[in-house]
Amino acid sequence: MTVLLETRGITQRFSGLVANSDVSISVGRGEIVGLIGPNGAGKSTLFNLIAGVYTPSEGSIWFDGEDVTRLPPAARCQRGIGRTFQVVKSFESMSVIDNVIVGALVRNTVMREARRKAHEVLEFTGLAARARVLASDLVPAEKRRLEVARALATEPKLLLLDEVLTGLTPTEAQTGVELVRRVRDTGITVLMVEHVMEIVMPLVDRAIVLDLGKVLVEGKPTEVVRDPKVITAYLGDRHAVGA
Amino acid sequence: MDKDFTNRRRRELVTAAIFAALAALVPLFVKDVYVQNIMVLTLMYAALSQAWNILSGYCGQISLGHALYFGLGAYTTALLFMKFGVLPWFGMLAGGVISAVIAMALGYPCFRLGGHYFSIATIVIAEIALVLFQNWDWAGAALGIDIPIRHDSWVTFQFTRSKLPYFYFALVLACIAWLVTWWLEDSKWGYWWRAVKDNPSAAESLGIDVFNSKMGAAAVSAFLTAIGGSFYAQFVSYIDPESVMGFQFSLLMALPAVLGGIGTLWGPVLGAVILIPLTELTRSYIGGSGRGVDLIVYGLLIVLISLARPQGLVGLFSRSNPKKAVSR
Amino acid sequence: MTAETIIQSLASGLLMGLLYGLIAVGLALIFGLMDVVNFAHGEFLMSAMYATFFLFAFFSLDPLLSAPLVAAALFIFGALVYLFIVRFAVRAKANTGMVQIFSTFGLAIVMRGLAQFFFTPDYRSISHSWLGGKTISVAGIFLPEPQLVGALVAIAAFIGLYFFIHRTDFGRALEATREDAGAVALVGIDKNRVFALGWGLGAGLVGLAGAIMAVFFYIYPDVGASFALIAYVTVALGGFGSVFGAFAGGIVVGLVEATTAMILPPSLKSVGVYAVYLLVVFIRPRGLFGSM
Repeated sequence: MTVLLETRGITQRFSGLVANSDVSISVGRGEIVGLIGPNGAGKSTLFNLIAGVYTPSEGSIWFDGEDVTRLPPAARCQRGIGRTFQVVKSFESMSVIDNVIVGALVRNTVMREARRKAHEVLEFTGLAARARVLASDLVPAEKRRLEVARALATEPKLLLLDEVLTGLTPTEAQTGVELVRRVRDTGITVLMVEHVMEIVMPLVDRAIVLDLGKVLVEGKPTEVVRDPKVITAYLGDRHAVGA
Repeated sequence: MDKDFTNRRRRELVTAAIFAALAALVPLFVKDVYVQNIMVLTLMYAALSQAWNILSGYCGQISLGHALYFGLGAYTTALLFMKFGVLPWFGMLAGGVISAVIAMALGYPCFRLGGHYFSIATIVIAEIALVLFQNWDWAGAALGIDIPIRHDSWVTFQFTRSKLPYFYFALVLACIAWLVTWWLEDSKWGYWWRAVKDNPSAAESLGIDVFNSKMGAAAVSAFLTAIGGSFYAQFVSYIDPESVMGFQFSLLMALPAVLGGIGTLWGPVLGAVILIPLTELTRSYIGGSGRGVDLIVYGLLIVLISLARPQGLVGLFSRSNPKKAVSR
Repeated sequence: MTAETIIQSLASGLLMGLLYGLIAVGLALIFGLMDVVNFAHGEFLMSAMYATFFLFAFFSLDPLLSAPLVAAALFIFGALVYLFIVRFAVRAKANTGMVQIFSTFGLAIVMRGLAQFFFTPDYRSISHSWLGGKTISVAGIFLPEPQLVGALVAIAAFIGLYFFIHRTDFGRALEATREDAGAVALVGIDKNRVFALGWGLGAGLVGLAGAIMAVFFYIYPDVGASFALIAYVTVALGGFGSVFGAFAGGIVVGLVEATTAMILPPSLKSVGVYAVYLLVVFIRPRGLFGSM
């Protein structure tokens, strides 16, 4: 499997606080990788570093064979990194389809093409019926889906999902899981930050656990979940079975 | 769905054409010079406000110093004509280009400022320009420039016997401003601007160069505003810093859009059609300028609109649900 | 230009700067509290000046005496402006930028129109007051008394404000609401009350400044406009939201204005201030002491 994304020795400091420490991970083409860990582990920071919101204090980020460490978010999107936001950032004054058209414009500069692409993506994400609705009128679960649809319209190679499944009802979460699977089936690699273990573990090919800014463990979900270090990180010492 | 969309676009064009045609016929029936004057001003402000709307409405960068570009247009035309004999038609273009360039140059520092900071900076910059022009002797300083009218001519764009040529020019200007907006609405620029307005960081994550989009909006907006300023110089034949770069102009360019519907296609036109005649009428009926009634009326309208109906009055006229009308 | 004249100019500039600070601090307070710029701030000042003038004209009340009254009246006015206008403006879901700017802007225009309508555009001035026209010599420098008293009042106001914010319950509520308007409800603080009082305080401070300035400035409907711009510049320089920033910013503005007046023709004196403002804001967008 070829490596699509690689972080090499990422350390990120915010005026004294070390959010990420020497984090080196890689994501292979076609994988669905889960980035998990307890609160404060540094998941969001790493996520935002990959998306280009921050420049790392140390280390480098490589995407599709290119050093993208210094590239701003807009340039990373053009290289093929798409992302959603944990706190949904829809374009509230625009309709659902207009929101997606904005995404589609990255690769389709002719308006007709962008519109066509946007329609496709809406069908794919199940939002076609809501195309003309104002984004501000959507229910939260739909807004989440719009986030994903918009990012998909940019035709990314790598899709970064920031807690897209958190806080959904079980039914909504299942639809979400299905969507992520279908996204991967179209050839897009997925890196998702998640909290809800029961939903994420059956979905991902590989899990990377962060704790206190460092990579704790990585591997197959079934193994990671049973790793005593992971259990300790989440639940504290008393729950560890064997050390 | 695509069919609905193209139909609506076509309807918008047809509506505009009808309005323009009707407007063009009005002078044939209305001969009163005073009323014709109001009509010319209404059309001019419609054009100016439409131009302002591009940067401040669609792109969300609220400029309260647009009089800068208006004044630059007026002065460029007047100075080129009076000092170098350059015809106003070329002066107009020159004014437009100069304004666009300055708008972009100012964009470098200004667009890093968000929200209120940006707006305040625009006020300050326009104020600086005003003071500089008031002290610039070559440009007439505080006394301004008087453009003597020799004879009626389209070449020098001067007319004394009738206001009609000015009227038709203003109508064409308003149509151009409207068309530019119409075209931009369904272009990648229009989408970029609205995305930048609603959520700049989300826009970035979708590959939009936020800074460049703002620059584009600023350039187009400044260019059109300056042309309006050039027109004004020829229309009134006398300009001075206070009258073309004063803050009241910045305000007057913004108000029609705010009233009619900021960030909409028809808002500035609707706002101008309501506001400008209203201003002139209050001024003449309450007696003399400087009594403040027009200000009281403006002010109340603005407060009411921004609190009760921030999307402007334009939504009242759409047949379907106002919210649906915005989306496609 | 002798050293004496220079010191003289700078001293005047310093005094004026302290007054500018007093005008600006209300703006900084309101912005720090709820992220709203009061575009009617200049008109608040203007109405305070007119109030002082009329109290003098009808009751022969010296501005020094009417100052507390005017400040109190502006306090009430400020609170009302919040309750009836700003409270609704901040709730806007659409076009939030436009709404926040134009709601107070519209108010400014109405106030200016009302002033023109009721008082005419004529310039007024207070012909004789206790301080008017007198100068006092301090260490060989001649300082105009009104400006001197104004500066002292400004300093007193800043000190008072400092203690108020840091030592009283209300002051602490103000700070708490500033930090997290949502959370204060959990401890029983009514956000609207705090905001209304914050606006009142901001207005009261500029009212105080207006009362003093009425002694030595002409009073006319548009007088607020030029001082408003200086206030925005002062706050932006010092940093939006910072009370100390307004104080420091005011001094900087006063000194820059005085210095510019020495070098350039008087009609250009404001350019120096604006240029410095632009410089600071472009290099350091959050101002000298701002926390944004």
